[in-house]
Amino acid sequence: MQQAIPYKSWPLPCIDATSHRARSTTTLGHNGRGKDVLNIVSENAVIVLARKGCCMSHVVRRLLLTLGVNPAVHEIDEENEAGILNELGTICKGTENNKMVQLPAVFIGGRLFGGLDKVMATHISGDLISVLKDAGALWL
Amino acid sequence: MNSPTPQFVPSRLGIYEPIHQIGIWGENFKSNGNPNTSTSVIVEVDNKLENESETTSHEMLTASNNYKQEASKPIDKIQRRLAQNREAARKSRLRKKAYVQQLENSRLKLIQLEQELQRARQQGLYMGGVLEGSHIGFSGTVNSGIAAFEMEYGRWVDVQHRQICELRTALNAHISDIELRILVESGIGHYFELFRMKSTVAKADVFYVISGVWKTSAERFFSWIGGFRPSELLKVLVPQLDPLTEQQILEVCNLKQSCQQAEDALSQGMEKLQETVSSTVAGGPVDEVSYIPQVATAMEKLEALVSFVNQADHLRQETLQQMSRILTTRQAARGLLALGEYFHRLRALSTLWATRPPEPSLP
Repeated sequence: MQQAIPYKSWPLPCIDATSHRARSTTTLGHNGRGKDVLNIVSENAVIVLARKGCCMSHVVRRLLLTLGVNPAVHEIDEENEAGILNELGTICKGTENNKMVQLPAVFIGGRLFGGLDKVMATHISGDLISVLKDAGALWL
Repeated sequence: MNSPTPQFVPSRLGIYEPIHQIGIWGENFKSNGNPNTSTSVIVEVDNKLENESETTSHEMLTASNNYKQEASKPIDKIQRRLAQNREAARKSRLRKKAYVQQLENSRLKLIQLEQELQRARQQGLYMGGVLEGSHIGFSGTVNSGIAAFEMEYGRWVDVQHRQICELRTALNAHISDIELRILVESGIGHYFELFRMKSTVAKADVFYVISGVWKTSAERFFSWIGGFRPSELLKVLVPQLDPLTEQQILEVCNLKQSCQQAEDALSQGMEKLQETVSSTVAGGPVDEVSYIPQVATAMEKLEALVSFVNQADHLRQETLQQMSRILTTRQAARGLLALGEYFHRLRALSTLWATRPPEPSLP
C-alpha cells in the first residue's frame, strides 16, 4: 500500500525516510490562538483538529489512512478549546459551515470540511477520494 | 384396510361420523386410497343400503333419497355420491390444515408475547439495578426514556410489518413507478425514524441501546454498535436486486467497500474507547479505598459512546440513502422488501429458538 506523504508548503516535498510512518501530532501551546490554528491548517492538505485522547478523531484518522491519506492531527487542550473554537467560528463564517465548529474538525486543502458526520457521508457517497485528490492530499 | 366388507355405522348417531373408514366394494368404488382418513366426514351408511333396509339410513343424508328411486341406476348414483364424499373429505382436510396453521401461528404469537413480558420484567430488574446504584436523580428520566422507547419501538415494528406487506402486494400488482416511489420513500423514512428514536434514548441510557436488549435474540447476535452492520445489510439486499446494470454493479461494489472501511474505522475507535476506559478505571493505586476519581473520569470518557451510536446510525442512514440513489424505484422497493423480510425472519427465528425442546438431561 502506498504511503501517503504529508504535504508541506515548501518548494520541494520533504520526505523524511526514518519517520515516514509517524503521524505529525502537535499540541497547540498554552497560548494557542485561532490565528495559529489557521496557519497550521493552511500548511497541511489534511488536518484533524481534536481534543486530546478523543476516540472519534481516532476514527477519522483510521478512515483517512485506509484511503491512503496520512492526516496531521492537532490536539487541543481543554482550556484552550473554547477560545479556539470561537476564533475558528468567526474565521469560518461565510462558508456553509457557520454553525459552531464541532470537534473533531477536519480541514481539507486549508478549509474547514466538517466533522466525522460529513467525512462519513462524503465517503459513502463516493466523493471523498476526489475531494482529497483535489486538495493534493492523494496522488494516484 | 381395503377389506371388502363395508364398515357399518350404527344408525341414528348423527349425520356425520368422522371416524370411520370408507368401505370398499371391490375395485368399483375407489376410496381416496388413503386408509388413514380418520378425519373424513364420509359416512359409510350408504354402503349399507344395498344390503339392509332403507329405514336405517335414508334419513341421515338427503342424498340418500336418490336411492329410493329406481334401483336401475344405483351405480351412477353411488359413484356420484362417493365423488361428493371425496370432495367433502378434501375440503375438510383443507379446513383442518388451515385450522392447525392458525393454531401454530397463535402459539408462536403467544410465545412471542411471553418473551416480551419476560423482557419487560428483566427491564424492570435492570432499571432497579440502575436505581439502586445511582446517587444522582436521573433515574426517573432514564426510566421514562426507556419505557417510552419500548412502546414506540413496538409500534415501529408493527408499522414495519404493515409496510412490508404493502410493498409485497404493490410489487405483485405492478403499480406505477410514481406510486411505488411513495412506498419506497416512506419505507426509508421509517428507518430514519428508528434512528431518531435511538438517538433520543441513547442520551437517556446509551448502554441500553448498545446492549441490544430491545431487540430479539437473533437480531442481537448480529448487533454492531447498537444495530445492524451496513455491509451485512448490503449482502442481504444485493442478491435480491438482480438484474443490475454494469454501472450499478460497480457502484454497489464501491459502496460495499466504503461501508466496510467506515465500519472498520468505527470499530477501531470503539476498541480505543474500551482501552481508554479500562485503563482509566484500573488506574491509581488499588490499596486506596477511594476509587471515585477513576470512576468519575471513566464516566466522562464513556460519554463518547453516545457519539459512537449516533455515528453508527448515521452510517446506516447514509448507506440506505446511497442505495436508493443507485437503484431504480422498483429495485429499491424489492430491496426494502428483502430487508424488512430479513428482519422479520430473524425475529421469527428468535421466537422459534425460544421454544426449542429443552436439552434432555441424563439420569
